[in-house]
Amino acid sequence: MATHDSLSGPDPSIRDRLRFARQSVSERMPTPGEGIVGYMFLLPAFLLFGVFLAFPILYTFYLSFFRFEGVGDGTLLWIDTEFFSYQLTNIADLQFVGLQNYTSMFSDALFHQAMFNTTFILVVQVPLMVGLALLFAVALDASFVKLRGVFRTVLALPISANLVAYSTVFLLMMQDAGLVNYVLTSLGLPAIPWLTSSFWSRMTIVGAVTWRWTGYNMIILLAGLQNVPKQLYEAAEIDGANRIEKFRYVTIPQLRPVLLFVFVTSTIGTFKLFSEPVIINGGGAPLDSTITIVQYIYQTAFIDFRLGYASALTYVLIAIVSVLSAIQLNVGGEDSA
Amino acid sequence: MREETRREAVWQFLTYGFILLGAVVTLVPLYWIFVASTLKESEFLSSTDPTLIPGGNFFNNFQSLQARDNVQFVGHVGEMTQYVDLGPLYFAYDFWNLWDMGAIESSIFVAGVYTILSLLLCSMAGFAFAKYEFRFKQPIFYAILATLILPIQLLVIPLFLLMSQIGLTNSYWAIILPWLANPLGIFLMRQNMRSIPDALLESARMDGATEFQLYYKIALPTMKSSLAALSIILFLFQWNLFLFPLVILDQGKYTIPVAINQLVGAQRVYYDQIMVAATLSIIPIFVLFLFLQKQFVSGILAGSVKE
Amino acid sequence: MLHGAGIAGLAGLAGCVGTGDPEPTDTGGSNNGSNGSGSSTSQSQLAGSAEVWGWDVAAKAMDLIDEPYEEANGGDVSINQIGRADLKDKFKSTLLSGSGAPAASMMESVDAASWVDTGSLRDISGWLEESGIKGDFVEGKWGPLEKDGGTYALPWDIGPVGTFYRRDVLNEYDIDVESVETWDQYIEEGKKLPEDQYLLNLPSNDYDGLWRMMLRQIGGQPFTTNGAVNIASDKSLQVARILKRINDAGIANDLASWSSGWFTAFGNGTTASLTAGAWMEGTLKAELGDTSGNWGVFKPPAVESGGSRATNWGGSNLTIPAQVSEEKARRAWDYMEYTLGREESQLTMYREYGLFPALETTYESEAYDEPHEFLDGQPAGRLFAEIAPEIEPYRYTIDTPEVTNAINSHFRDMMAGDKTPKEAVDAAAQQVSNRTDRDLA
Repeated sequence: MATHDSLSGPDPSIRDRLRFARQSVSERMPTPGEGIVGYMFLLPAFLLFGVFLAFPILYTFYLSFFRFEGVGDGTLLWIDTEFFSYQLTNIADLQFVGLQNYTSMFSDALFHQAMFNTTFILVVQVPLMVGLALLFAVALDASFVKLRGVFRTVLALPISANLVAYSTVFLLMMQDAGLVNYVLTSLGLPAIPWLTSSFWSRMTIVGAVTWRWTGYNMIILLAGLQNVPKQLYEAAEIDGANRIEKFRYVTIPQLRPVLLFVFVTSTIGTFKLFSEPVIINGGGAPLDSTITIVQYIYQTAFIDFRLGYASALTYVLIAIVSVLSAIQLNVGGEDSA
Repeated sequence: MREETRREAVWQFLTYGFILLGAVVTLVPLYWIFVASTLKESEFLSSTDPTLIPGGNFFNNFQSLQARDNVQFVGHVGEMTQYVDLGPLYFAYDFWNLWDMGAIESSIFVAGVYTILSLLLCSMAGFAFAKYEFRFKQPIFYAILATLILPIQLLVIPLFLLMSQIGLTNSYWAIILPWLANPLGIFLMRQNMRSIPDALLESARMDGATEFQLYYKIALPTMKSSLAALSIILFLFQWNLFLFPLVILDQGKYTIPVAINQLVGAQRVYYDQIMVAATLSIIPIFVLFLFLQKQFVSGILAGSVKE
Repeated sequence: MLHGAGIAGLAGLAGCVGTGDPEPTDTGGSNNGSNGSGSSTSQSQLAGSAEVWGWDVAAKAMDLIDEPYEEANGGDVSINQIGRADLKDKFKSTLLSGSGAPAASMMESVDAASWVDTGSLRDISGWLEESGIKGDFVEGKWGPLEKDGGTYALPWDIGPVGTFYRRDVLNEYDIDVESVETWDQYIEEGKKLPEDQYLLNLPSNDYDGLWRMMLRQIGGQPFTTNGAVNIASDKSLQVARILKRINDAGIANDLASWSSGWFTAFGNGTTASLTAGAWMEGTLKAELGDTSGNWGVFKPPAVESGGSRATNWGGSNLTIPAQVSEEKARRAWDYMEYTLGREESQLTMYREYGLFPALETTYESEAYDEPHEFLDGQPAGRLFAEIAPEIEPYRYTIDTPEVTNAINSHFRDMMAGDKTPKEAVDAAAQQVSNRTDRDLA
């Protein structure tokens, strides 16, 4: 009723309704045979996962404790039973080095640089992109907007552009005499050394990646928005909430699982950044300021042929990202699975 | 009341402005790619004079793209060399030879098949994680999530090895199967399915529905918009896959990213042809998006749960 | 309940599953040894078909020889053209995973050392000896292709370096290339050009290319015979100083090499010369066709007076993976011998595509005296044919990429004035040493 101070928190009746909505997610009423059914639904996915991804994952882990000496005639795995015998040969000449691959990372300056670059880009890019995606999703969900379908399609299109083509276009746009600086200078702002300064070249990557992925994340958030029961908004309106309050107290909490998804997957995606720095910055220029961690792993594996070390790097990356994701999920309030 | 309508107007203005700004920024590079595909290479590359007006060179560029002998972008009518009469299979064989698939067709085929199959798998798995309790649920979920991080570069060699042991080299299945259980998809489905009211499922159970019917008749329909989003994710994931298809496929089966990369030749990059290819390859995605727009409707039916 | 049965079952299998070579069964029976010298006497059959990988112009060149080969020696050799970066990725994946490799593939000399080191290439020294063609090739080519007494590829083409220049630009400013003998003289001539025109381009992403070329010219080596890092040597320092002088004289442009701007600058004469391998002519012809007739080429300036004017940039070979069957390997070798070891084949590829043969015996041919229209009728071939036999061998290793990185980053500092040439080469050497566990020379 009347005006109420938006700082005082949501009206009690909104809170009740929200509690109800949240409850329906966390309440679990056990049903007979529930344990097996869960596995049944999971089975096809798990089977495929096991067949195709288990071997590469385990093999990479195995490799991380060795040094790759060359392609050899050695036998990796042999199975010889009464019924069936099988040999996996010709893999690699490996020299067991224990944890040495892992310890070398501490003194590897280029690895540290790559980690720093990737983290820097991540810290700037992910919040920026998720924020933008959220704003666009909400904006496009508003009922008064005409041509929603068209705008949604347009905003999501960047992800369909071929990597080589779009990186090239960005490369050209960000030149000292390119389009972006042209626009800046005509607005009276100074031209920015997008490709030649360490700081700005990272920003160029941030810009390119944000351009490419915002629409994609917007689509995901939009889908999540559709799942927010309209009654909640109606209830909030009845209680006199304005737009911002509705956003803050209905939208965000309801969207939390999907928001978390977007956050976690964007973080992981940015950690895996590879192609853009290669094409836009020629692989880390200037001065290795944009070399990303996956680029470094690729270089170590495919150019230096140090497969063992590359495997170890991969697993450290996995560990770091897993921890980060777990933190994000916990902070984001994932109560139980 | 005047206050309110004015505030409303301001909001609308801001919202539209924001969206329009976003649309413009989004479109500029894409427009440039299109313009580039209509220009001669030298015109496009002189960055001192950015041209934003399309030229007339599209078909020339397209022809030089098609003329390349090491990659075929758009397919053409194939030669029907052999007629095999196996009764009902006669037609099938002819049909298959009718069109020599180019990269665009390959990509559409592979991404399409992958999306449909993976939709099924991921939604089932997501449903399991969202709505059921079972032992090791947490660890399994985190394990699946962890595989998201694996950079493909390092998986390529063992996967290639695996594929050659199974005999799947140079087969489309080789690039469809390994990630049918897409952790991204599973994760998304799980997050979205959490919002299905348990009460809804309970009442269905009490009406005698089997668990699979719960999945099929309740979960899927209410998740229409999420499934649409998932389709986009899956389709684009497969569409943009590059390194593994490069390694495992031979020329006849190249997908679009691999084909476009062939245009980065020995010393130089054939920009005009790349831009044509890029422009053409946006079209299928555009169509897909438009088609899926209809699915972005609210899934939870109001009033389906008695409060 | 299930657990118990499972473990018991596994225990039963314990004797039947393992990693590493099993004693009872015979390992490596049907797999190829990577040594061809022993089997050359077994006279195995040639495979009916074989696949060869190459990129771009080289693949097209092989296409030319394909038919004549099949007519002469039978068989069916198919050439698979794959983009350069992609070919390397694909080929390396097949090498490392032990399957899927073609019968033969193109391999650049600069990559040779590291690829040979993986042990996944076939030793063709036996067949090479039998054929007796080893001596027909330029001596300097064999270095990276050999290891521990084995030979792992057959040389194809080389890139004898010439300095291509715009006749019109240099004539306009009275720069006479005939009078230029050393870099210092060339730099002096370059000063005659006005402010916004440059004698050459110093690309900040590719200092290592120029450095390597000049180092090789004076017989320098990046690594010593026992593998120590040698890039801080006096010779390397000499080269660094010259590059610095070029930069400081203000006669060099700094566009990224192979970028569109780089090509454009040559096209409109902003950059007036380019020191590169013989194959560059083909590229210039393709990119800047309308400047045809305005170019010329002369031997690259010597580092010091009286010094060598012969060096190399680029060059490829054909190699056979070890995993390929004996029959296919023989077919591949047969094809290689025909395509690379015969004068007619090499000369055909040279005439059509400008691939400069590594086969020294061709240098007598008149093909090299033909006038090059692009170069205003200059018989450039003869110039390169003179340079080729003088090319010094060069020691590439698996750590060559490290050297590339180190030179580029520290030379950037040097060009910006943050390091002296001595500091730059020392820092580069130190970096390579740190990252590769090699000693400093």
